[in-house]
Amino acid sequence: MTPPAIVIIGGGPAGMSAAVAAATQGLSCTIIDEGFALGGQIYRKPTNPERAPAPHPRGEQLRAEVAKLAQQIQVRNGDNVWGIFDELRVAVTSPDQHTELLQPQALILAPGAHELVPPFPGWTLPGVMTPGAAQILIKTMGVAPGKRVLLAGTGPFLLAVACQLVDAGVHVVAVLEASSRPAWLSLPLHGFRTPEILAEGLAYLSKLDRAHVPVRYGRIVVAAQGETELNAVEHAPVDAEWFPDNNRIETEQVDTLLVGYGFVPRLQLAQMAGCNLELRPDVGGWIPIRDRNLATSVAGIFAAGDGAGVAGSLVAALEGQLAGMAAARFLGAIDEATFAAARDSIEQELARLKPLRRALDKISALQPGLMSLVRDDTIVCRCEEVTWREAREAVCAGSTTYRSLKMTSRAGMGACQGRFCWPFLSRLVAAEAKCSLADIGPPSARPPLGPITLGALAPEPRDK
Amino acid sequence: MTNTADVVVIGGGAIGASVAFALARRGASVTLLDASTPGRATSASAGGLWSLGESLGLGCGVILHTAQQGAGDGPAPLPRTLMDFLWASNLRFPSLAAELRTLCGIDIEAEAATGLLYLVYDEEQERHASRIIEWAGSDHGAVEKWAPQHIRDRDPLITHDLRSAIHFPGDNQVNPMLLTEALKRGACAKGARYLAEARVRALRCSNGRIVAVESDKGTIACGAVVNAAGAWGAQIARLAGIEIPIQPVRGQIICTEALRPGTLRSNLSTRDCYILQKAHGEVIIGSTTEYCDFNTEVRYEDMCSLAAGAIRAVPALRKVTLKRAWAGLRPGTPDELPILGAAAELENFFHATGGFRTGIVAAPLTGEVVAASVLGQTPEFPIEPFLASRFQRIYV
Repeated sequence: MTPPAIVIIGGGPAGMSAAVAAATQGLSCTIIDEGFALGGQIYRKPTNPERAPAPHPRGEQLRAEVAKLAQQIQVRNGDNVWGIFDELRVAVTSPDQHTELLQPQALILAPGAHELVPPFPGWTLPGVMTPGAAQILIKTMGVAPGKRVLLAGTGPFLLAVACQLVDAGVHVVAVLEASSRPAWLSLPLHGFRTPEILAEGLAYLSKLDRAHVPVRYGRIVVAAQGETELNAVEHAPVDAEWFPDNNRIETEQVDTLLVGYGFVPRLQLAQMAGCNLELRPDVGGWIPIRDRNLATSVAGIFAAGDGAGVAGSLVAALEGQLAGMAAARFLGAIDEATFAAARDSIEQELARLKPLRRALDKISALQPGLMSLVRDDTIVCRCEEVTWREAREAVCAGSTTYRSLKMTSRAGMGACQGRFCWPFLSRLVAAEAKCSLADIGPPSARPPLGPITLGALAPEPRDK
Repeated sequence: MTNTADVVVIGGGAIGASVAFALARRGASVTLLDASTPGRATSASAGGLWSLGESLGLGCGVILHTAQQGAGDGPAPLPRTLMDFLWASNLRFPSLAAELRTLCGIDIEAEAATGLLYLVYDEEQERHASRIIEWAGSDHGAVEKWAPQHIRDRDPLITHDLRSAIHFPGDNQVNPMLLTEALKRGACAKGARYLAEARVRALRCSNGRIVAVESDKGTIACGAVVNAAGAWGAQIARLAGIEIPIQPVRGQIICTEALRPGTLRSNLSTRDCYILQKAHGEVIIGSTTEYCDFNTEVRYEDMCSLAAGAIRAVPALRKVTLKRAWAGLRPGTPDELPILGAAAELENFFHATGGFRTGIVAAPLTGEVVAASVLGQTPEFPIEPFLASRFQRIYV
């Protein structure tokens, strides 16, 4: 089998748009996605269509466009891309542990982002999960995550998930938004060029209002309570830097708490491929450095969507298109004039979305008060069950980088390779050691990024 | 904070930490300079304490110079001096572990009864195996050949498709990261100063002596300097205008998710790889031996061959989840012996590098003999075979 011209990793809005753009120029593409169907998190397809809500129309449309180009686009769902080796070799393992090395001429990274959850007392109790996890339950299976649900964190994603819970008949007790109400009320000033997005936001708010779900601004969860599972949540009002007022704690009896403070780009593939990185807290942390054409520092590798800086699904789809066209240009399938024209129109649309996006980033920017919730016995690395006391002792003994902290405390040594703990742990370390996040650096990315067995690397001899 | 020290030790790996600990225990004022460099051998090491296995040239511990000579039935052993040195160092682990536990509360996971099993798959290896037993001699514990049934009784997951195995009862294991951390903290408990992220930029010399070390964490006036920079040892020596033949030798390693502790009782060495289960439950499979400058990337092909070698030895590993692959840089020397003791060119510059595949097992004794040389005492093990000056004799 001849290798595809382009391998696209990730089948969300960025990956699908990239495939459509490149395939339209006659190039063969393979999309590899860990999900069972294209869509990513935002446009996830139901496995149980009778019970799950109808999928998002924009997702349906992108899936249809990909399907129309089936001659050019091969889709590999359920496969695990766990390594990028030299000369653009992509290691892919299927669920039956068959491994292949694909070597395309260009690679588009569209891995998306994962959710950001700060450590706080009780956050590892069963019943505490992310809004995204609850969304998967509803979207794919039509299963409610719990009976009485509280959402807490920041950003419009909380409102979207709250509405989906309401639609699914779940009792949503409240939505706690860390930022202040005046900050959110200022959004229309920045969003007048994108009225359709503002309208979407207002629709969420009015739906919650009709369902009598209070949205309480300027409050954060400070602790989760329960012996073996969650039964109550403590929350408190915060100041502008999100430091809670512990004299005004309220307790809410709930069986489910969904906590999400935005997203972190999934950086690891770009990192493993050797792309140069930069620290951009405004878009979620470390990202690959890209030029105007979304090319990374490694020839032939492009990056699009939330995985290269969190900006939401609309930006991701546009970036996907641009990356697909740029890869087509890189491979000589289109001329410079065609490419430049396409880029101009995509850039115009990106510019229209930008002011609202920037304003949202600012409102939802993590504040230092969120890092004040950990106690000595709070677990800060879930994989290895390392407490803040253990990590802090290692920091005090001089371990102020990911590498040395991992060696001395095991924090970040687990299967997730620091992906989940490090965004917050690095901030805790920076505060404790009085150094900058840039000095501390991102966690290293090592193969395999996803789980594979030893057998996936050693095919059984056929004669046995 | 004072910026003078009797001794500055450059390198915070197992060797540097051990030298700093031994010096501090002797009452010297010590500053240990560390720089968390990717590929540091201590962090990449599996922590096998295979004093015999490695010096006899077992399995994938293919010894470079002999492999290059193309010896008949497998590699020849390294010089007896190294075996004796490593054996003496290995014997120190039980008491060192106890001392460090008391001093700083860290359990270095020095296991006393794992032992090393060298799996013999075929006739050629069988011939090599009988020579190994001969080389090991009788003064290094009861090295013996085990029959397949005996192996199965002890470690039922080991392949049945083998002829025999050689058992080295004294070759156990330790957790190299905890060893290093405990030595560091032990040194500090005895008054040493530890500076993290303190990359050395220059060595200031005057009248045939080093008078100060310039680092990212300031300049330290000092009475003596120990070069424990591992694979970077030649670069540090060069700052003092001295050439030593240290070359990084990459070792790639793969590691599984944690399995129930005790799943594998023995450390295993085969022609293809070594396999050992750590106290935490992870099984570590290593390692390649290759020159590739300071490149610490992991290669797909090497991950595959390590996995295949491990599955051959322990077929049940086929279904086990792989957690991580990484690579470290061993400090290699042309004759595979470490470089220890005084540099001939400068009167107060000492080496403690070149540990190649055996830096962890050599760490306790290396600390002792280097500390003794620095302080003008007689080392308890003769250091002459390991002096850097041997290369001038050979190569000039």
